[in-house]
Amino acid sequence: MTDKSTAYEILERALAAAKADEADAAYIAVDHNISRFANSQLHQNMSEESASLTLRVVVGGAMGVATTTVFEEDEIQRTAEVARETAKHSNAVPGFAGLYRDNEPLPHVDGFDEQTAALAPMEKALALRAMFDRGTDVTFAGAYASGATSVACGNTHGVRRYARSTFADATVIAIGKNGSGYATSRQQSASRVDVRALGEEAMLKATLASDRVEDLEPGAYDVILEPPALAEVFDWLNMIALTGQSYEDGSSFFVGNLGKQALGENFTLLDDATDASFLPFPFDLEGLPKRCTALVENGVLRTPVLDKEWADRLGLAPTANAWSLGSPEHGSAFHLSMAGGNSTREEMIASTKLGIWVTRFNYVNGLLEPRTALMTGTTRDGTFLIRDGKVAARLPNLRWTQSMVEAFSNIEALSSERRSVGTWYNMFGGTLAPVAKIRGWNITGKQETRSS
Amino acid sequence: MTPTRAQLEDVLKSLAGVRYADIRYTATHQQHVKVRNGEVDHLSSTIDRAIGVRVLVGNGWGFAASSDISEASIRRAAKRALEVAAASNAASNVRVTLSDIEPHVATWESPYRIDPWSVPIDKKLEHLMNATEPMRGDTRIHQVAGEISCYRQEKVFASMLPGERSGSFIEQTTTQMGGGIEAVAIDNGEFQRRTYPNPFGGDFQAEGWEFIERLNMPEKALQVRDEALALLAAPKAPAGRFDLIVGSAQLALQVHESCGHPTELDRAMGLEISLAGGSFMQPSMLDNFRYGSDLVNIVADATIPGALGSFGFDDDGVPAQRFHLVENGMFVGYLTGRDTAPFIGRASNGTVRAETAARIPIIRMTNINLEPGTTPLADIIADTKHGILVETNKSWSIDDLRLNFQFGCEVAWEIENGKLGRMLRNPLYTGNTPDFWRSCDAIADRDSWQIWGLPNCGKGDPMQTMRVAHGAPSARFRGVEMA
Repeated sequence: MTDKSTAYEILERALAAAKADEADAAYIAVDHNISRFANSQLHQNMSEESASLTLRVVVGGAMGVATTTVFEEDEIQRTAEVARETAKHSNAVPGFAGLYRDNEPLPHVDGFDEQTAALAPMEKALALRAMFDRGTDVTFAGAYASGATSVACGNTHGVRRYARSTFADATVIAIGKNGSGYATSRQQSASRVDVRALGEEAMLKATLASDRVEDLEPGAYDVILEPPALAEVFDWLNMIALTGQSYEDGSSFFVGNLGKQALGENFTLLDDATDASFLPFPFDLEGLPKRCTALVENGVLRTPVLDKEWADRLGLAPTANAWSLGSPEHGSAFHLSMAGGNSTREEMIASTKLGIWVTRFNYVNGLLEPRTALMTGTTRDGTFLIRDGKVAARLPNLRWTQSMVEAFSNIEALSSERRSVGTWYNMFGGTLAPVAKIRGWNITGKQETRSS
Repeated sequence: MTPTRAQLEDVLKSLAGVRYADIRYTATHQQHVKVRNGEVDHLSSTIDRAIGVRVLVGNGWGFAASSDISEASIRRAAKRALEVAAASNAASNVRVTLSDIEPHVATWESPYRIDPWSVPIDKKLEHLMNATEPMRGDTRIHQVAGEISCYRQEKVFASMLPGERSGSFIEQTTTQMGGGIEAVAIDNGEFQRRTYPNPFGGDFQAEGWEFIERLNMPEKALQVRDEALALLAAPKAPAGRFDLIVGSAQLALQVHESCGHPTELDRAMGLEISLAGGSFMQPSMLDNFRYGSDLVNIVADATIPGALGSFGFDDDGVPAQRFHLVENGMFVGYLTGRDTAPFIGRASNGTVRAETAARIPIIRMTNINLEPGTTPLADIIADTKHGILVETNKSWSIDDLRLNFQFGCEVAWEIENGKLGRMLRNPLYTGNTPDFWRSCDAIADRDSWQIWGLPNCGKGDPMQTMRVAHGAPSARFRGVEMA
């Protein structure tokens, strides 16, 4: 953790060293603690304190970026020199109107929790030991992470921002004789992450219908997707469809479709870092205030996520999504929030004649045909056959190959309850999603575990 | 700025009650240059410094790291590592056994001829412009891009074994470069990307600027453009079962996903199951499981000069080695580390690495290579009556046990009566790992064998990106399902 005055002092020195037409800088300090477990043993346990400074300079409209983890004066001067040298070789960004100047007020959100920041390794170990001891006919694997970030950014137009945040994130897999189950939660406060309850949820999934295992032929089926499954899809959607770069290079299905009804009316996707019940954060690294931005509203495509540089270039409004200065993605959604509906998971199961209930996906890839968001992946840690409104059997892990443009036009029901899921690349936010029932999901293969 | 041996050993000696301890320091330098559509798209420079202290107390591992590399910070990290290990020990009751090791005092450097940082940015940009500008002009070419990456990591490893007056002290420096170009063609809603020599930043080697010169990107530009345009009009690759010839670069990724990962012993032991998954290749199958046909020999070799997965010593201080994972089709070996090898009654074969000193070392691939066969690729094609040749990866996905895979490639060609025919777009093939490798009936000779650098292998939590490599020739597989 770095306090505000220390962080600002480092920023001031970096901006003073910039010696450019304009400059901005971002300082990020992270305390990160992860306890990993497998076979009901805590086998990897780490604690990291890291900090980095990124300086971006603008010379004649061209940008240069350099990053360092050492903040002594000579290193900051060297970093500024590298950034200036880099800018000298860059082109002016077409349409770029300069770094952020408006210094608007920030949303009043507080994402910091003292107890979470101070959570000791022994507290986590004892909570995990208690969960291990309750495992009947299962062993547990997973990770229990917690941490705190301090972020400061500013620029040569007087913008100065500072915020602290915390996160706690637990993922539990219970492994039984005939299958596994999974549960996860990501919260701003560790007090809201109940490891024991997650263990019980995972154990229930691991043992559900464990005496009834069936097979399934490839084909189109109704699926009931839990929030972790949707979060995996959104991680890829973020990369192939939502970023400023994917919009500019023509690979995103948003291109040519802004303002058009491209997905189902019951599909709404927000980038919302202001939701105090989730993982709130008040600004992006260019200093713009975060707000709730509709990316897809009732199936109508509204905007990709953009940093200011790319928003100016594309002639679109910036969305405050710069999570790295000078990032080649030019915007990334760190707080994806999919709107829920008025159903429950149990109602969805009861209304399904023949379908598949999916806990989560594994190894999704979204590069097959990005213009239709065609993705593939497998199911994992709890895949169940639904027949005549009831859980009929466990299924093997299934391969699917599915266009998300098609899938998000075929949503039949959404739960009112939503859950938060962490993402490996993002400790500021995550994904908030309901359970979704989707018609006609294409199953294209299965995991065959024979080994002889 | 680099911590001295005396400083590190002093901290190690101060650690009371540990069964084992080590300290690592890394300074990781990266430069990335990218041009796109005639403009400089991205130019960045990063230096990341870190220290990490790892201790074993009882049955508990503790690890603490910091980006502050001062002596005071190293001492704080050591204290924190002890606290973390005590917590681990409270939730672990399985005895941790480390395979034996000799202490080493050594220095190792990867060889290069022209220092990547000695080449001015102007020259790198000029090279990329020369390789990408010729691809522009056709209105269907929506984007052309090229990039060059420079990477150098300086690493210090110091360890102390209980009762020893001095342990290992190893200094290593790895220098690597990578580069590639791409053309994106769009027409009538069809989107096609063609790359050279590989997507996702190109190909990478532990060499200097001489590797970028050898890639010859400017000479390949027009072929890349023409193939991107041709793909727009090419028919979709058909579905069904075909004899499939997999090109060297794509086969390298197939080796990575379907042999490299499942032979990581930590995965097989369930230690990585929460994120990356497990492995279908269980210890009970060692030496008695037919993984592939008799032709299939897969070797882990961390000693190849110039390959991305080469080093002098791993992050346990174990020397780099060469050994078989699959020999004449039989599963014979795992990638192991000091704390996992005893589980199968063997000694560590030195494959434990961390992305930086701020991460826990875990088992990582080195250079995992499919050994070449004896038949020229042209003869394999001529011997194929009705088949498909696929090249250059586009998408990859495999299940949590590394059994069911699906790969998409940038391009395919029909093979009819031993001759290459029409170009096909969006080829997608799928299968089951042992069925696929057992169907291998021809492996091309050394002329088609190439070692490919992959700088982005993900594993661990927090995610660690590791730089590995795979040597592969082209090879033929019978009756593979195309989707």
